[in-house]
Amino acid sequence: MIEVQGLTKRFVDRTAVSDVSFFVPEGEVLGFLGPNGAGKTTTMRMITGFLTPTEGTVRVGGIELNRDSLALRGKIGYLPENVALYPEMRVAEYLHFRAEVEGVARGEVRARLDEVVERTMLGGVRRQLIGTLSKGYRQRVGLAGAMIHKPPVLILDEPTVGLDPRQIVKIRELITQLGRDHTVILSTHILPEVEQVCRRVLIIDAGKIVADGSPEQLRAGLAGAAELHVQLEAPAAEAQEALAGLTGATEVRAEDDGRFTVAVEGGEDLRRAVFSLAVERRWVLLELTQTTPSLEDVFLRLTTRDSAAAVAGEEDAGAEPGGNPGEGSNGGSVDGPGTVPGDGTNPAPEVTHA
Amino acid sequence: MRKTLALTSRELLAYFSSPLAYVVLTAFLFFNGYVFWLIMAFLNDPRSQAMQPMKLVFGGTIFFWLFLLFVVPVITMRLLAEERRSGTLEVLLTSPVSEAQVVLAKFAAAFVFYVFLWAPTLIYVAMLASKAKIDWGPVASGYLGIAALGLLFLAVGLFTSALVKNQILAAILAFAILVVMFSLGLVENLASGTAVKGALSYLNMWEHMDDYGRGIVDSRHLVYSLSLTGLFLFLATKALEAGKGK
Repeated sequence: MIEVQGLTKRFVDRTAVSDVSFFVPEGEVLGFLGPNGAGKTTTMRMITGFLTPTEGTVRVGGIELNRDSLALRGKIGYLPENVALYPEMRVAEYLHFRAEVEGVARGEVRARLDEVVERTMLGGVRRQLIGTLSKGYRQRVGLAGAMIHKPPVLILDEPTVGLDPRQIVKIRELITQLGRDHTVILSTHILPEVEQVCRRVLIIDAGKIVADGSPEQLRAGLAGAAELHVQLEAPAAEAQEALAGLTGATEVRAEDDGRFTVAVEGGEDLRRAVFSLAVERRWVLLELTQTTPSLEDVFLRLTTRDSAAAVAGEEDAGAEPGGNPGEGSNGGSVDGPGTVPGDGTNPAPEVTHA
Repeated sequence: MRKTLALTSRELLAYFSSPLAYVVLTAFLFFNGYVFWLIMAFLNDPRSQAMQPMKLVFGGTIFFWLFLLFVVPVITMRLLAEERRSGTLEVLLTSPVSEAQVVLAKFAAAFVFYVFLWAPTLIYVAMLASKAKIDWGPVASGYLGIAALGLLFLAVGLFTSALVKNQILAAILAFAILVVMFSLGLVENLASGTAVKGALSYLNMWEHMDDYGRGIVDSRHLVYSLSLTGLFLFLATKALEAGKGK
């Protein structure tokens, strides 16, 4: 549906996006992830035609941006970063205006208006001036405006920024719903949001794509980042040796009180093996937890440009069971690798990592 | 066409929901009423020459020009600068409307407001008509002149509004350009040499209005204002397009 080829944007003083290529098939919800200033907004602006690329092409539904910009713009519903609206207009007035500008057929305007108002839950504020609405409502008005012409593609730039936790949940539910009949690109720097809403993640840093895949793939792709926490009543040296001998264990760190942290390679679940080991040697097993790397670990590893030591330090902090509230949904749990923490059905804790 | 119309009516809504519109309208009426009264008082003096009062209203006094030079930038300053500042321009330019459509729609809205500004002055004409015989030709051509110059001034204002984010800056830029254009014509009186004098006379808006007010519709004057209007609208469109590539 969306095809981006070698997209590059150079401003006078810097290169904001360099040689970005990706393809989004129809019906996919793509999470566009990156630290602030990584080039997310610039890339989205180029796809929507607000900025002209220095190099590269954008194709949406087979239409090329450089050839027929107007037709391409009609296929996209765009919610820009700061949801700019006209404060002096009423909600219904604004949506009517958007419908006309987006070229909704005259006879359909009313039906479309009713539909988007219902989907974005704006029924109560139809007659209200946009300038008097709260941020959450304005965000929904912007979203309603972006989908008024039933665009096959929705591009949403940080749609949940500045909302309160309840509103965030609502907007995410709405986006998940929209993903069923739209192709969506969603930019954000909030990690749980991506895990809940997106089936595929693109991580961009300093204008380049550094990772592309499903959240599970990205986590699995980080070799050795899964960790096994074990506490045994056993001779330390012997236990360490035995743990290191397990298939998949790459490194064993001994801590106080018979605690061990085992780095686990590529998707192995060592809990069974450790249990058998303990039974076999008649050690008492006090604690046994395996954590998969969170998307946050992946994100930090890929986008932190400090020394490797600093990256490792971040991981340590992040993998401490319960030590980091951001871990929330998977820290300290016994989820095996490959399980999506908070797969959209349970509203995961609203922790923003901003 | 429907899209342009939607843009224009949104713009008009924006005009009439801002206090600025009413301040400008009120000030304009108050000021014009005062000038009209001055003209009446002047013409009532038996020593003054017999003149057509409406001709004096139409550009016969410096007040007309001062007001036009000040007010038009205020009318146009918001048009694109505010959209750029608030970010709504991003929504607009990613909708299936062209930059030219946006510029034309805004221009049309500004012109409608301008006409709205002048419409109450028809009361003066009606008042005069009730007391004396009126020569309708010059009155009509006078209004035509006001419209033609209005188009030009508004186009300049729209152009500067397309250049910057800050409304005040847009107004000041428009004012500066308009003052230069206006005073370029006035230099005619200082120039020597027929060629220079002739060229400057072509640019002399005061003389243009003088002709319109006398009932002379000179096609050169119309070409002057309409061609420059076209030029500035084109530049405004280009300014919007250039914003995408920077």
